[in-house]
Amino acid sequence: MRRNSAIFVRLFRWPAPILALILTSCVIARADSIEKIHDALSVSDPQNRFNLQFSGLVDLEGYFIDQPTAALIFSERNFLFNPRLTLFVDAQIGTKIYVFAQTRVDRGFDPSDDGAQIRLDEYFVRYSPAKTVNVQIGQFATVVGNWVSRHDSWQNPFINAPLPYENLTGLWDTGAPDDADDVLEWGHVGEYDNGDYSDKYARIPIIWGPSYASGIAVSGSVGRFDYAAEMKNAALASRPDSWSITQTGFEYPTFNSRVGFRPNEMWNVGFSTSAGPYLVSEAAPSLPVGRNIGDYREFVLAQDLAFAWHHVQLWAEFFETRFQVPRIGNADVFSYYFEAKYKITPQLFGALRWNQQIFGTIRDEDERTKWGNDIWRIDAALGYRFTDYLQGKVQYSFSHQGSSPEAGHLVGVQLTVKF
Amino acid sequence: MSGRAVRCASSILILALGLAAGSARAQVVIEGTVTLPKPSFDRGLNQRYSTTSDVAMAPTNPPAAVVYLEGDFRPKPTDVPKSPAQVAQKNIAFAPDLLPVLVGTAVEFPNMDDTYHNVFSYSKTKRFDLGRYRKDEKSTTVVFDKPGAVTIHCEIHERMRGTILVLETPHFQKTDTAGRYRLEHLPAGNYVLKAWVAGDDIRQRPVELKTGMTLHVDFPAR
Repeated sequence: MRRNSAIFVRLFRWPAPILALILTSCVIARADSIEKIHDALSVSDPQNRFNLQFSGLVDLEGYFIDQPTAALIFSERNFLFNPRLTLFVDAQIGTKIYVFAQTRVDRGFDPSDDGAQIRLDEYFVRYSPAKTVNVQIGQFATVVGNWVSRHDSWQNPFINAPLPYENLTGLWDTGAPDDADDVLEWGHVGEYDNGDYSDKYARIPIIWGPSYASGIAVSGSVGRFDYAAEMKNAALASRPDSWSITQTGFEYPTFNSRVGFRPNEMWNVGFSTSAGPYLVSEAAPSLPVGRNIGDYREFVLAQDLAFAWHHVQLWAEFFETRFQVPRIGNADVFSYYFEAKYKITPQLFGALRWNQQIFGTIRDEDERTKWGNDIWRIDAALGYRFTDYLQGKVQYSFSHQGSSPEAGHLVGVQLTVKF
Repeated sequence: MSGRAVRCASSILILALGLAAGSARAQVVIEGTVTLPKPSFDRGLNQRYSTTSDVAMAPTNPPAAVVYLEGDFRPKPTDVPKSPAQVAQKNIAFAPDLLPVLVGTAVEFPNMDDTYHNVFSYSKTKRFDLGRYRKDEKSTTVVFDKPGAVTIHCEIHERMRGTILVLETPHFQKTDTAGRYRLEHLPAGNYVLKAWVAGDDIRQRPVELKTGMTLHVDFPAR
C-alpha cells in the first residue's frame, strides 16, 4: 500500500503542478483580463513624447525526446518540462530613440535539466537620425537571415528553431583538435561514435539560435532595399555564455551584414555574410604555437527568402559555412530549410519544415572524410490561438542522421500566454 | 381633366400633406451627450527586429460611442444596407476604428496603405481571418450575422485595434467626437437606451417614448 502511494506521488509530482500551471494560464489568459493588464503596463505622457510598454510571454513547454537528445536540448530524461517567463520593455523617446530589453526566467537559454535562472538576454538603444539610418548598440539578435523576426514563441510556428540554428557540429569552441580524429570523435561520426554524449555542450552549431551577441549595428531601408551591418563580440556559432560584453571583449570582433530586397509586399529576399573567430579564449593554450584565436574564423554566406500571400507564408534559408580549424584546415558545411505555414481556420494553423545539413570533408591521414553526420529532419506543427493572448502548439519532429539506423523522434507541446 | 377629377386630386394632395405634417409632429427624438474617455495617442513603438524606423506618433481616431435603442426590434431584410460598409486600413490604423452595423450587414476591409495588412478577429461574435492582402487587392467581405462587439486586429501591426458593434436594432447612431448624438424616427413605447463606449463600458437607461416627444438623455462617465 505504502509502495503504491509512493509510486502515485512520484507519478503525479510533475504532472500535477504542470496541470495547475496550465489551468492558471488559461484562466488568466482571458482576453479581457489580459487586455487590461496590457493597458496597465503601458505608460505614455500626454504629449506622446515618451511611451513605455512592459509586456511578456509565459511559455509552458514539454518535450518528449529520444536519447541522446537532439540539437540544443540538454536533458538526460525522456520528458523535459521547460517553463519560461519572458519580460519585454519597449520604450520610445520621441521618434528617434528606441530602447528595448528582454529578460528571461527559465531552465537555461536552451531547454535543459538545470534549475531556474534569470538572464538579461537582450538590451539595446537604437538611434534613428533619419528614416534611412538606424544605429543600434547593446546586446541583440543578429541581422543575418530572416528567422530572428519570428523567433519568439508567439510568432514561431514551431517550438524549436530551424536546423542550422541548433544542430551541433563536431567542433568545440573551447579547444582545438590535435588531429582529424578528434574532430570525427567530437562529431560522433561513424566508427568514432563512442556513445558518450557528455561532450554535447562543448560543441557548436552554425548559428546559435538568434545569436544575441553584443555590439553595434547600422541598418535602414532605402526604397525597396534593406541593409544592415553589425560588429559583434562573438561569432554566429558562439554559445550564449560568450555573448555578454562582460565575458567577451572586442579583441576579435565578428562582422555580419545583410542586404534585403522587397520586389513587392509578397516577396523578401536577402543575402547575408558573416566572418569572425569562433574559438573562445579558453582554447588559446591548445592552439599551434604562434597562433591566436583570431586566426580561426567562421565564414558564412547565407541567402534567405520569404513569401506571404493570403493565408500562406513561406520561408527558406541557405547557409554555406566554413570553419577554419587548427591543424585541420577548412571544414565546410551546408545547411538549409524550407518552412511553410498555413492558416486552416482563423484560429488553427499548420506548419511544415524540411531541414537538411550536409557536411564537407576534411583530410584524415591520406584520405578525405566527412567531418560530421549528414542529417535531415522534418518538423510538423499544429497551432491554435484560443484568444488574442493564448496560443497552444504541438510539434512532431523526425530526424535521420548519418548512417545510423536509429531515427530521432521529438514531440513538443507549448502553451503560450502573451501579455 | 374634368372639374370633379381636379377636386378629387386636390383632396388627395391635401390629405397627403396633412398626414406628412402629422407624421413630422409625431416623430420621437432622443438626443444628448455621452461623456467620452480622453483621447488616447498611438503608442507607436519601433519594431524590435526591423530595419525601418517609421514610428506613427499621431493621435488615433478620436474617441466615440454608439448610442442605440434596445427593444423587440426585428430587423427586416430591407433594413440591411445593400452595399457593404467599410473599415479601411489607412496610415496603419483602422478607419473608422468603431463601426456600428445592423445584424446581417456585410463589411469590407480595403487596404489603403502601401504595406500588407492582415485583419482578423477571435471574438466569439464573429471569428475571421482575411489573410495578407495588398493595397490593390479586393478584400473579402465579411457578413456580421450575430449581435455583439467584434474586436478586430491586424496580425502584422499589433497596435491596430478596432471594433465593429453588431446591433439587432435599426435605431443607432455613432456619436460625434464631442459625444453628441441624435436618434430620430423612433417608435413610441418602452425601451432601454444604451451607450456603448468601450469594452465593458456600456451605459444604459430605460426610456418611455411618446409620440411627438423629444427626450434629452445624457450618459455621464461611470
